[in-house]
Amino acid sequence: MGHDYKAVQWSPFKRLYDAALALGVLSFIGVFVAASILASPVEAGGREAAAPIQLLIRATGAAGFGLLTLILAIGPLARLTRTAAPLLFNRRHLGVACFLIALAHGSLVTLWYHGFSDLNPLVSLLVSNPRYDSIRGFPFESLGLAALLILFVMAATSHDFWNATLGPRLWKSVHMAVYPAYALLLAHIFLGAIQNETSPLYPLLAGGAAALVAGLHLTAGLKENAIPRSVARTGEWIRVGPPHDIPDGRARIVTPPRGERIAVFRDGARIHAISNVCRHQGGPLGEGRIIDGCVTCPWHGFQYRPSDGCSPPPYSEKIATYRTRLVDGEIEVEPDPLPPGTPVDATTLPEGRR
Amino acid sequence: MSRRPKSPPEAEADPFFVGWAPAAPVHRRTLLVSAGATLLAGAGVSAAIASQQAPVGPGGWDTQVRSWTGWLQRTPYPSLLIREDDGALRTAWLAGMGKQSVAPIIPEGLSGAVTVQGSLIARGPHRMIAGTGAPDWIAASPDAPPTPDPGYEEEIGAALIFGEVLDAKCWFGAMKPATGKTHKACAALCARGGLPLAFCDERSCGDALAAPLFLDADGRAHTADILPFVADPVAARGTLVRVRDTVQFRVAVSSLRRV
Ligand code: HEM
Ligand code: FES
Repeated sequence: MGHDYKAVQWSPFKRLYDAALALGVLSFIGVFVAASILASPVEAGGREAAAPIQLLIRATGAAGFGLLTLILAIGPLARLTRTAAPLLFNRRHLGVACFLIALAHGSLVTLWYHGFSDLNPLVSLLVSNPRYDSIRGFPFESLGLAALLILFVMAATSHDFWNATLGPRLWKSVHMAVYPAYALLLAHIFLGAIQNETSPLYPLLAGGAAALVAGLHLTAGLKENAIPRSVARTGEWIRVGPPHDIPDGRARIVTPPRGERIAVFRDGARIHAISNVCRHQGGPLGEGRIIDGCVTCPWHGFQYRPSDGCSPPPYSEKIATYRTRLVDGEIEVEPDPLPPGTPVDATTLPEGRR
Repeated sequence: MSRRPKSPPEAEADPFFVGWAPAAPVHRRTLLVSAGATLLAGAGVSAAIASQQAPVGPGGWDTQVRSWTGWLQRTPYPSLLIREDDGALRTAWLAGMGKQSVAPIIPEGLSGAVTVQGSLIARGPHRMIAGTGAPDWIAASPDAPPTPDPGYEEEIGAALIFGEVLDAKCWFGAMKPATGKTHKACAALCARGGLPLAFCDERSCGDALAAPLFLDADGRAHTADILPFVADPVAARGTLVRVRDTVQFRVAVSSLRRV
């Protein structure tokens, strides 16, 4: 397998995205600090705002969790509507930003709550509350620490170099750890801050965030499973339909009895079938388009030649191809994948019906 | 692969987004609208959660270092008895800059009137001086009159209070907030370091002005046995005692129940 990877492309659009991200995080933290101070008039015997570092601890904790919720919402959103595609392609920067904010939160906590004593702050983090046997008294900090470690591993391996080096399967399983991390964080919040606060707003917001993420994933999953699995038996070809039902340069996705989905593309008068699963992060190639003669993934723009499933030089990614044929004016595809990168003759549509 | 598509996606009526290709106006619009909406929603959520925080209490730490003169007391915790302008004697507990007791850095044999370099942590009637810990942070003050009469001790009565064992330094104003589970680790370090403990009623742990000092049944500082209970919700059965200008809640560890 080639170890080259698509160099990160800087574009004005990506810069705009990153600027919006930075502005969003800074305004969230700024509003938090300002609103805390405004809501707490300093008067004799009255309320006062929390200490500045403690305000920052809370603001960064909430910003990190909010950002992670956003990251987890964008994935299913992009599967539900193509409109969200421009939000998806730069998720890596959201993830790294989330880790850095969470790191600031964890560091401030360690410094402030666990520092200034002769016990090592990192030791204090793990031993100062030994009630691991109680739910109500559980040391919620250790849950945050576990989540932070997962976020670290994901941020550290988020670059495409690691995707190419580890291979898409391993890379993907590492990055699926974002779900356990999110669950750990929910426990961190419910067993930590929410136990200290009296306002119902906190459990409502945290629960609402979890429900949003779960609901979007469920909806996207249901939508995908609504595409019926073909009933073709082994050795049988799957019927795709009349070629001109497929818009030029686009695909129809079919689901074989077993294995990955197949994307059947029409490129003018030629019909090609390739795996629907992008070699990069598993994006749905069948929702992509042919640009410059290459199938282009809707998620991050990886490209494959429809004739052999290979990325054009200098890249070396390969995906499975499938044989197609035309029977009684309908396209059929053989459900068994050919090894990634296998050239297949296109099915050419008859003259006059182009 | 070519980064300059011959048929740029933005030329289409329904443009297809490719991260590496020039973004079509509609994509820029999607990004700006989503970012704007997220920004507003985020600011709203941020303002809402910020304004709903439980009260943190009226304590504070004025970090300016000043000189304080008074009579040194070593029990139950190191303190200074300071003569106020109106002639009344007032207790200011002594602490260090960090989460340790100052007892080990008060020179042996020092007694009577002393001058301390430190900064003031105050909440309601409570005073605590955080000594700088510099080599001469505490020194005898030979010109002051001798230590006044230690004053009276008066039993207020038996009490059962639902609440929380606090570390007094944080609660008086070194940390805000300084109660509950999120602050437990810090309180445990302070208790471990031998700093004074106090006890708050669960109904007003956040915003009460005053809290009694928390001592063992004999009016002495608790030992490490108290550590498992610090900052947890407990029911404490003991005796309230007034000692000069302070109130003590004297409770044996065996009379504490987690609730
Ligand atoms: C070393 C790791 C961590 C430690 C020791 C830690 C510790 C804490 C502590 C002590 C609090 C209570 C703060 C207070 O109320 O004053 C808190 C709250 C919180 N933490 Fe963490 N945390 C860690 C990691 C994380 C991570 C990775 C996230 C999310 C990205 C996170 C999100 C939150 C949130 C949302 C809250 C509640 C709101 C707030 O007070 O900020 N924490 N954490
Ligand atoms: S999943 Fe990233 S380009 Fe296809």
